[in-house]
Amino acid sequence: MNEYVVEMKGIVKTFGEVQAVKQGEFTLRKGEIHSLIGENGAGKSTMMKLLYGMYPTNRGEILIKGQVMENLTPKLAIEHGVGMVHQEFMLVNELTVLENIILGFEPRKGLKIDFEKARKEVTHYIEQYDMEVQLDKKVSQISVGEAQRVEIIKTLMRGADIIILDEPTAVLTPQEARRLFEILDNLKKDQKSLVFISHKLNEVMEISDRISVMRQGIHMGTVNKEETSPLDLTKRMIGREVFLNIDKAYGKAGKTILEVRDVWVSSQKETSKIRGMSLAVKEGEIVGIAGIDGNGQSELAEAITGLRKVEKGTVLLNGQDITNLKPRAVREAGLAHIPEDRNTRGLNRAMTIEENLVAVRLDQPPFTNKHLLNKASHDTYAAEMISQFDIRPTDYRLPTSSLSGGNAQKVVVAREVSMNKKLLIASQPTRGVDVGAIELIRNTLEQAKKQGAGILLISAELEEIISLSDRIVVVHEGKITGEMPASEANENNLGLLMMGGHDKTGEISEKGKAGEHTV
Amino acid sequence: MSQSMKGLRKIVITMLVALGIGALFIMAIGENPLDAYIALFKGAFNGKLRLGTTLAGFTPLLLTSAAFAVAAQAGAFNVGVEGEVFLGGITAAYIGINWTFLPKPLLYLACFLGAMVIAAAWAFIPAALKAFYGVSEVCTTILMNTVAVYITSYLVSGPMSAGTANPQTLPVNVTLFQFMKPSSANLGILIAIGVVLLVIFMLHKTNWGYKIRTVGTNPAHADYVGISSRKVFIGSMMLSGMLGGIAGCIEVLGVHGYFLNNFATGLGSNGMLAALIVKSNMIFTPFMAFFLAVLKAGAMGMQQTTGVPKALVDTITAVFIIIATMETAFQFNSRRKKKKEEQA
Amino acid sequence: MSTIMENIDKIFNMSLIYATFRSATPIIFAALCAAITQQANIINIGTEGIMLVGAFTAVSVSYFTGSWILGVIAAMLAGAMIAMIMAVGHIRYNSEICAIGMGINMLAIAITKFLLKAVFDTNGGFSSPEIDPIPRVHLVFLNNVPIIKDLLNDWSITEWFAIVLIVILQFFFYKTVWGLRLRAVGQFPEAAKTAGIKVNAVKYQAMLISGLIGGLAGAHLSLGYSTQFIENMTNNRGFMGVAAMYFGGANPVLTAVGCLLFGFSDSVGARLQAYGIPSQFVLMMPYLVTVTVLSISMIAKLSANTKRQSALNVN
Repeated sequence: MNEYVVEMKGIVKTFGEVQAVKQGEFTLRKGEIHSLIGENGAGKSTMMKLLYGMYPTNRGEILIKGQVMENLTPKLAIEHGVGMVHQEFMLVNELTVLENIILGFEPRKGLKIDFEKARKEVTHYIEQYDMEVQLDKKVSQISVGEAQRVEIIKTLMRGADIIILDEPTAVLTPQEARRLFEILDNLKKDQKSLVFISHKLNEVMEISDRISVMRQGIHMGTVNKEETSPLDLTKRMIGREVFLNIDKAYGKAGKTILEVRDVWVSSQKETSKIRGMSLAVKEGEIVGIAGIDGNGQSELAEAITGLRKVEKGTVLLNGQDITNLKPRAVREAGLAHIPEDRNTRGLNRAMTIEENLVAVRLDQPPFTNKHLLNKASHDTYAAEMISQFDIRPTDYRLPTSSLSGGNAQKVVVAREVSMNKKLLIASQPTRGVDVGAIELIRNTLEQAKKQGAGILLISAELEEIISLSDRIVVVHEGKITGEMPASEANENNLGLLMMGGHDKTGEISEKGKAGEHTV
Repeated sequence: MSQSMKGLRKIVITMLVALGIGALFIMAIGENPLDAYIALFKGAFNGKLRLGTTLAGFTPLLLTSAAFAVAAQAGAFNVGVEGEVFLGGITAAYIGINWTFLPKPLLYLACFLGAMVIAAAWAFIPAALKAFYGVSEVCTTILMNTVAVYITSYLVSGPMSAGTANPQTLPVNVTLFQFMKPSSANLGILIAIGVVLLVIFMLHKTNWGYKIRTVGTNPAHADYVGISSRKVFIGSMMLSGMLGGIAGCIEVLGVHGYFLNNFATGLGSNGMLAALIVKSNMIFTPFMAFFLAVLKAGAMGMQQTTGVPKALVDTITAVFIIIATMETAFQFNSRRKKKKEEQA
Repeated sequence: MSTIMENIDKIFNMSLIYATFRSATPIIFAALCAAITQQANIINIGTEGIMLVGAFTAVSVSYFTGSWILGVIAAMLAGAMIAMIMAVGHIRYNSEICAIGMGINMLAIAITKFLLKAVFDTNGGFSSPEIDPIPRVHLVFLNNVPIIKDLLNDWSITEWFAIVLIVILQFFFYKTVWGLRLRAVGQFPEAAKTAGIKVNAVKYQAMLISGLIGGLAGAHLSLGYSTQFIENMTNNRGFMGVAAMYFGGANPVLTAVGCLLFGFSDSVGARLQAYGIPSQFVLMMPYLVTVTVLSISMIAKLSANTKRQSALNVN
């Protein structure tokens, strides 16, 4: 019997054409808290879903408590003591907390559910680990922190002694996160083994015994907490890519083209709700928003472009108030937008390359004349874009679903940039894109800037932010934690601000000022 | 094999299976399936009365199937076509009877426009409820169909009644010329074909059509590029209603000459089914509608010349529809296996 | 209007209540048939067709065997068979549920008409003294109890069973293991899957039971409510059941209330007709109410969601 309760060796997992895990390795010791960290798309969630039996592996071996697992299913994993608390809670809103906890493992009295017995068992766990839950409320009525505790109790009720938590604090307020850590501590004291998936380095440093890093589907190493630091982990997570040579001109910035004044924006997750953010972008300038994905950047881009409601505050484009205007009106005011999700937003995968290229300006001549589509003009334009941006394959009548990530992104970039708008919002413009396309896209942005556009660049790639931006703004949990010219920026000071630290002027982040939180 | 060809192949196989099952039934009652099917074909095409009946039956189905399909292009499930046919019909009847102050040509136009406006307004309600509040348009349109039928039933038995035993209105003052007497085939078929061609043209050659297709395939993308997915959704439901209204108008002006209670039962539903079978493909839908019309008309002929009752054709049609809705049956490809792999 | 007020006791009296319940019963069965599948998030549009097939089967078997019990059982099995066709089509072959449901309705109308000719050699309807109807329960001790004697006596067995079924299903959905799993499958199949539940198996089971109930609904119609089979005798009651189910949110008790609403409007409508109020207005009321109920519940859900996601919500 070895020391590990879980071993995952040589794991490969593919979904269609996407390789979510290229080389997965993971071990878990009894009674430890082991954090699995990495950026979005690094493969950490997938690794654990494989452990929980939600999908079969393409290659590799999984051992639970020394036993090799063939044909893992959730039921089998549960039988071997594995429990999982998912990022999206697997709770049925219209059922009560108690009903959700016992689902699938209901104690019976004949055909009836023995609610009394269920209640007794659950109360035992509530008391043992000090978790407060209201058993008779519907899930739709309880707080997020409470819902998470319900998920944990679910795993305990099924006899889990190996518990996986997938980004548990993503949806919690700081107070609720504290409560969670106390509970995790209690569980650990009781010899439960915990896997903590996260990208929040400060928390990971606080509670872990060991930390494993994944990047782009590959296991990058496992360290003991004492042997590492947040900055060391940041480097392993983000990595150094090929430092592409961009001919950056520190040009003269013109007048202010975008002004965001004290905006408050809603979000499904607590940590990405924007509460009072202000910034400005000038013509001929690239302002980079640095921050780990999920801290309000997506919401900011959507709020500016009219895709999400601005609850308080104003957004001004070239002096014009565009707050909460429909996307069409915002675009007409002078905005172009490269969205972070090219598959849902940026492109209509079911339609052709040509149709996607003309999508935004469809109503205008020459693309449409008096409501009739002018096909010939579409053809000419598409051919031009394809050659200018080196899009392959070159047949514009093909559906975009057949394009690779890089080429698909080039279609989006081509469309948005060639409209020559004064303001360009570029959100994760090179995510999931091959090196050649990355270079082309970054050069395109640089060109646009030289021609006088103001660009708001949002990227989780620090290196991209540093190399392209003139000024850098760092966000953390919906607030700006610091600003600096790119010339002063490096991975260290940016990384610190990305994790919510203070900037050089000693300004405390807004977190501490918020009022009492009920959990 | 391209997607369209695969779809076609599946329809053909389904047809053969349904005809096969029908043959079993026919043999069970002691008749010869071959004779029966030949009689079916003849019943639809042989002679003025029969051909005319087929065409007359095809006209409303062409419109209602197109109505459902066009809404589906925008991602809307308009089960309410049934109700829209009724409301269109009663409106046309009202205008056709009462607005005699208009000269004949304008009266024709008014009937059609009135039918379209009322039917579109009727479709607006479930469309708006879905677009703004997410209320399933499937549920609301089914419920509102009954309301629509009751409204027309009240009108035709009450204020608009002609006093006859059978609830019907007074005759309208404009009718569509019936060119293949003694059948009910009328000029409405030309109007129907014209309208459907116009809709197909609109979908592929105008910017509205582009917007409808974009919203139907990816509403999030549509909003992002500046196309209001809400507006387009509601607009396409209203267009769908309009087509249903035209169908009702043609039935009143062309087939009957007045509004008859329950004149259009099933026209909307059958059209919807025709569209669903071919996944609302705008090109295939009219052909499927024609096929169903042939079956319906041919059934009468079959019943007359052989001992096979009409109800049997209805049974075969129903079996065909049921099998045809099974999307992944008769696919003969590895796609299903791949799906299973990923889901474990 | 004044005539109505003067004659109010002629309109709203005991026999109205009795009539309401009697006309509501077939709808109650239909609604419960739809409610079970709705809990699994499947819209059973084919309820109408299942009922019709059940009605025909009940009459035929009762006629040929002389036993209403066999008729009812056969009807339930026939209903289950039809439901399983829908189930296989929808779950295994990905049929659009509304499409296959309407196809089933068409099939029911066509095949019952066909068999009516083939088996009984008639058109339009079939009636015979040899059909064994569902017996009525005459409670002797109620003979002298005022009011109640008009209300509760001489109900057919299936009418009593309707009430029993409401109670059984209410218990079933909310207190048993299977009911809990059914609701989980209908509301959040992914969560049910991660709890180790076989989602498709539950859906098939729901459809099967729905078919049994739908068949029973038809049997009640042709052997209890009346003793004959008429072409298309369901007369949209299956759809009314679906509507009532939406009204009650697939909760058996609330759904039954909805059915009473539909039954009430049916009976009152006929009476108010005599006083000049068109029956159609009353008949359409329950549908309009249901649409309103659906809309309001969605609006409430949306606004709760918006509040929860709001950044202004510093709780």
